[in-house]
Amino acid sequence: MRSSPWMSHNTLSGWAFILPYLIAFVPLLLWPFFRGIWISFHDWNLLAVTFNPSAKVFIGLENYVNLLWGDNLSWSLTQFPIFRLIVTGGALYFYWRAVQAAGFNRGRLITLLAVLFVSVVLLGLTGDWYDPRFWTVVRNTVVFVAIVVPATTLLALLLAIALNRPGRWAATMRSLFFFSQILSVTVVTLIWQLMYGVRNGFIANLLAPFNIASPNWLTDDSLAMGAIAFTTIWWSVGFALILFLAGLQQIPGDRLEAATLDGATGWRKLFYIIIPSIIRTVQFVMIMQIVLHFQVFGQSQLMTQGGPGDSTNVWVRYIYQSAFRDSEIGYASAMATLLFAFMLIFSVIQFWVTKRQES
Amino acid sequence: MMHDNKPPIWLMLSISLLAFFWLIPVLWMFSLSLQPNDLLSRTTANTFLGLVPIPFTLDNYKAILDIGDTPRWFLNSLIVSGTSTLLVLATSTLAGYAFARIPFYGRRVVYPLVLAGLMVPEQVVFIPLYIFFSDLDAHNSLSTLALPRVALPIGVFLMTQFFKDVPMSLEEAARLEGCGHWRIFISIMLPLARPMLITLTIITFLYSWNDYLWPLVSAQRREFFTITVGLAKIQGNFAQSQGLGQLMASGVLASLPVIILYLVFQKYILKGIALSTDK
Repeated sequence: MRSSPWMSHNTLSGWAFILPYLIAFVPLLLWPFFRGIWISFHDWNLLAVTFNPSAKVFIGLENYVNLLWGDNLSWSLTQFPIFRLIVTGGALYFYWRAVQAAGFNRGRLITLLAVLFVSVVLLGLTGDWYDPRFWTVVRNTVVFVAIVVPATTLLALLLAIALNRPGRWAATMRSLFFFSQILSVTVVTLIWQLMYGVRNGFIANLLAPFNIASPNWLTDDSLAMGAIAFTTIWWSVGFALILFLAGLQQIPGDRLEAATLDGATGWRKLFYIIIPSIIRTVQFVMIMQIVLHFQVFGQSQLMTQGGPGDSTNVWVRYIYQSAFRDSEIGYASAMATLLFAFMLIFSVIQFWVTKRQES
Repeated sequence: MMHDNKPPIWLMLSISLLAFFWLIPVLWMFSLSLQPNDLLSRTTANTFLGLVPIPFTLDNYKAILDIGDTPRWFLNSLIVSGTSTLLVLATSTLAGYAFARIPFYGRRVVYPLVLAGLMVPEQVVFIPLYIFFSDLDAHNSLSTLALPRVALPIGVFLMTQFFKDVPMSLEEAARLEGCGHWRIFISIMLPLARPMLITLTIITFLYSWNDYLWPLVSAQRREFFTITVGLAKIQGNFAQSQGLGQLMASGVLASLPVIILYLVFQKYILKGIALSTDK
């Protein structure tokens, strides 16, 4: 900080320097964000409002009620029993293990309570939802994320550990695995629709000599989600790979040398030195991917059109349909706001993880 | 940290094989785009599962360049991505310098607000953005396609982080000679930031070129499609697989600029991705 004449001069130049950016930021990001929330409190039909600007009706939280609530809601212990038992048991087990190993801390308790709240209370709710389709797309999105994120993370982690070495070969492999990442979603879906083609697809061509008919990858409701998830893993493994390599580079070399001198080799080094050293990076990359893949749209829109039935319809695609096919932008905005709230939770966790990492 | 130079042979083999599998979809697209259409309507596995373009032809490329909208879409994408990249560069270097080096009144409020914008994805604001440009009657124009990207804070964030790390001493000397912020920015900061600017240019162009949701919503007239949206539209007549070769040629064309960027500037892309996640 300098003396006061400088201050006023600084203030003038400072604002002059940020002004060009603010001209874009305020009307094209800040204002739309709040306006989206405001729209979500309305019964707002795009076509009706285009012809008559006063055709929007303020309805408060009704859109949210219609999305999140239903008739005859009751709580049942036996809905999704196996899944809930696994999640509840797993959460309690890991909490107990963590307390044994590292002691009590408030963050862990909050996480445990949040997981228990979802698995015991929320997943036990049954009834006639006002919009069962919303719950279908939420479930599909969660399933998509639950397949893509762990699979991508595991594959990228193994590749990163194997390719974290100098030399031409490793560099070439790194660029090959990253390559698919730079393609646009429409190119990726173009290629993979043909890969999965029943009559002339690459997989069908591989199976043909064995007289095996190709499964209907994209039109069979038990396969479609897996197929678009696999495509996504193919597309995005490079991203996680790069971040893991960056994390591995930060492990101090003497730590590994010490381990090597102590006689640790191969797998022991991997499990006792390398993985514990980048466990924070793994957490970080996973949360990052969760946020990213919750926004999945193109794969579902282009490869399966959400089908068959609604089996691959996802959250953002339902927003898009509600807004631009049904013209219900009030309702669509409520869904978009809920999506943001959901992602905000993960961003807060992300922030919290990073902060702990630094301290 | 780097471990021993020579990987075991089984590891090298299995990873190389996996990398080859990883590349197959793209190789196949290239190869199909170079085979005649009437052959492809019979089989897509002509030579070595179709991975080798024999018989070879360039007709598909000639066809999409002569007729149809693909060249127009390609040009639209170039203009849109080029414009938004230039605007991002200009606005984010200026704002980044101010946030990092000028202690101006209000900075402590505005900068966190801009950073909070990092958490707002396109998917959350595309409806109000659509309304905003509808009210201005501005859809179906290239500037409407380009502008929303300029508002994304990632460039400002990267430039602010960069300028914060420039040692104070460089600036002090210039200030003693009576240079103002503009002179310091132009003649000291910008030249220093050159590698960072290349990184920012490339990742902005890449993301802009690959953007799908906003151009899908905003451009309804065919002549304003970008190549990503255009390619999505022509995927519709996929089932009859006539014109498969042309479809694949369009896919190759749509990827060409980013592939060239990747081949030339790979280092900067990887660095940009690592940096932009380092919040």
